[in-house]
Amino acid sequence: MTTKIIPALAGAALLLAPGLALAQGAPPPAWAQGRSPEMANSTLAPHAGRLTVTPPDQLPTAQLRVPEGFQVELWAHGLPGARVMVRGPNGTIFVGTRGIGRVYAVREEGGERRVSTFMQGLQQPSGLAIREGALYISAINRMLRVDNVEQNLSNPQPVDLTAAFNLPEAPHHGWTHIAFGPDGRLYLPRGVPCNICDTDGERYALIASFNPDGTDRRIEARGVRNSVGFDFHSRTGQLWFSNHGRDWAGNDNPSDTLHVNLRRGEHHGFPWCASGWQDPAVSGRLCSEFPPPALILGPHVAPIGTHFYTGTAFPERYRNALFIANRGSWNRERLAGYEVVVVREEEGGRLVQEPFLTGFRDDKNQRFRGRPAGVMTMPDGSLLVSDEQNGAIFRITYRR
Amino acid sequence: MRALTYLAAALLAAATPAWAGDATRGAALAEARNCAACHGANGISAVPLMPSLAGQQAEFLLVQIIMFREGLRPVPAMMEPARGLTDAEIEDLAAFYAALPSGPAATDPRNEALAARGAELSAARNCATCHRPDYSGQAQVPRINHQREDFLVHTLAEYRDNLRVGMDTQMNGVMHGMTNADIRAIAHYLAHR
Ligand code: HEC
Ligand code: HEC
Repeated sequence: MTTKIIPALAGAALLLAPGLALAQGAPPPAWAQGRSPEMANSTLAPHAGRLTVTPPDQLPTAQLRVPEGFQVELWAHGLPGARVMVRGPNGTIFVGTRGIGRVYAVREEGGERRVSTFMQGLQQPSGLAIREGALYISAINRMLRVDNVEQNLSNPQPVDLTAAFNLPEAPHHGWTHIAFGPDGRLYLPRGVPCNICDTDGERYALIASFNPDGTDRRIEARGVRNSVGFDFHSRTGQLWFSNHGRDWAGNDNPSDTLHVNLRRGEHHGFPWCASGWQDPAVSGRLCSEFPPPALILGPHVAPIGTHFYTGTAFPERYRNALFIANRGSWNRERLAGYEVVVVREEEGGRLVQEPFLTGFRDDKNQRFRGRPAGVMTMPDGSLLVSDEQNGAIFRITYRR
Repeated sequence: MRALTYLAAALLAAATPAWAGDATRGAALAEARNCAACHGANGISAVPLMPSLAGQQAEFLLVQIIMFREGLRPVPAMMEPARGLTDAEIEDLAAFYAALPSGPAATDPRNEALAARGAELSAARNCATCHRPDYSGQAQVPRINHQREDFLVHTLAEYRDNLRVGMDTQMNGVMHGMTNADIRAIAHYLAHR
């Protein structure tokens, strides 16, 4: 175990300002390190996920809102924990989850859409990728490959690539998003096993890439606290990734962010700097030493699905736009996120974000009705959005 | 004032669970599956290492029984009892056990020094933030008072050693780096409250 939790380390005092309101001796929990005194009496806790089926009449379909000209409809339901979605060459949609440990398959058969549990009993299989007819599944510390997956839907025989990938063992922030890059390599982020700590930067707080068989590991981006979504720009091929800022530093700091990785191995600031905010709990390096994020997404909004729209059915201004599903906050007094935003490039290259799919967040009652997590373009140019809380998938179309 | 605001926010934030559990149906199912043989009559366990279920948070019970059914919390003794349960049946079982009054605090003598060390550790690691100041839990965060001390020791060590991973990984992060002595102290403190 190479992770060093800051306050447990005698030597950490050299690296870090003694600003943390923490007890001596015992290392604090992963999520509470760097907790500000102002939040000491908080009872904010992560929201409970839902592992049971939400019946269609309890889904927030009617409350969802999209811009003028777009329509949103329920596309599939009965997939508790639905997160990331990928599409096989023959049209099967595979859906990954965390808490319930399943991968679902959604197929159209005889004009009917059918949901089945394709694999189960995995530890948080939240990363899925498709290549040459094979499905890659990343669960905590594990990597599996199911060859000819659509021919083996009822009897998958996964090849275990875990030893080749040799992923770090700590479970916390060990659920990952995965995807193949334009270079044919498999990209895999690995978050920090804590809220904020001094970790082994060769193993944690990074995005790595591998040959599809797990060989030739390369660090693509460093200083990334926890990225759960990324994509490659359709024209430049550059890696665009979203990143989660830490907890317990206050309601409005730091923000979650969007980054473009301009150089291989580029350092994006963790643990010293997040969203241009110099973390008072950590000293040693300055924000000015790191490339600024491409865009500030908002405090605690929790970006998951981060996806370039690749269809042509949406109006011109949405072509190659980046859709980000913000799953929503827990470590904040007032709810933030719980919506899909679209990031577009304006003239001069300036990035702007605007709400796209809203209605999951009920500001008046400070409740949420769902948590958007995955985003994917369909061949017909419609957009699928998964709702992890309700185990549902919504479809967004455009009609003039 | 500050603390109050946070409290209100935390209570309100959860999505409205469409709770369908029926305690009467749950009682019949618990009887049929003989849950009491291990977890005790009225959900208060008299068997070493068996957790009490009485007065536990319904949402926590629901999540854990689903994880047993899915093989994600691999406890051999729970394989058979959880086999083939539907979501609705699990909601019923959860409603039944959640409605039973929780057991008393441990009655064996309290070791003051050990309990004081446990209290210190709990404060340092903010156990009461998620489990609430009286340790009665909230939603998927379980009640951890009125529980068997030996079970607490056992399960906390399992979180630390990554042998038990919950629906999320919060408790693995929490227990990172704790010693066996720390765990004994914290379990003693919790069981004697
Ligand atoms: C043969 C003994 C046995 C029977 C019968 C049994 N259980 Fe269990 N149960 C266990 C054991 C052992 C554990 C905990 C093991 C561990 O994690 O160390 C457990 C844990 C649990 C837990 C998790 C509690 C916690 O605090 O973590 C729940 C909930 C539960 N059982 C419900 C039930 C229900 C409902 C039934 C009947 C349908 C049942 N059990 C029948 C042995 C049993
Ligand atoms: C960030 C929130 C959080 C904090 C802080 C936290 N817990 Fe937990 N705890 C949870 C959640 C969530 C679960 C249920 C996890 C699961 O599904 O296994 C849990 C489960 C447990 C259980 C298992 C109970 C049972 O019946 O199975 C024990 C014991 C426990 N916690 C003790 C502690 C102690 C002791 C501390 C402080 C050292 C602590 N927790 C701090 C969230 C928290």
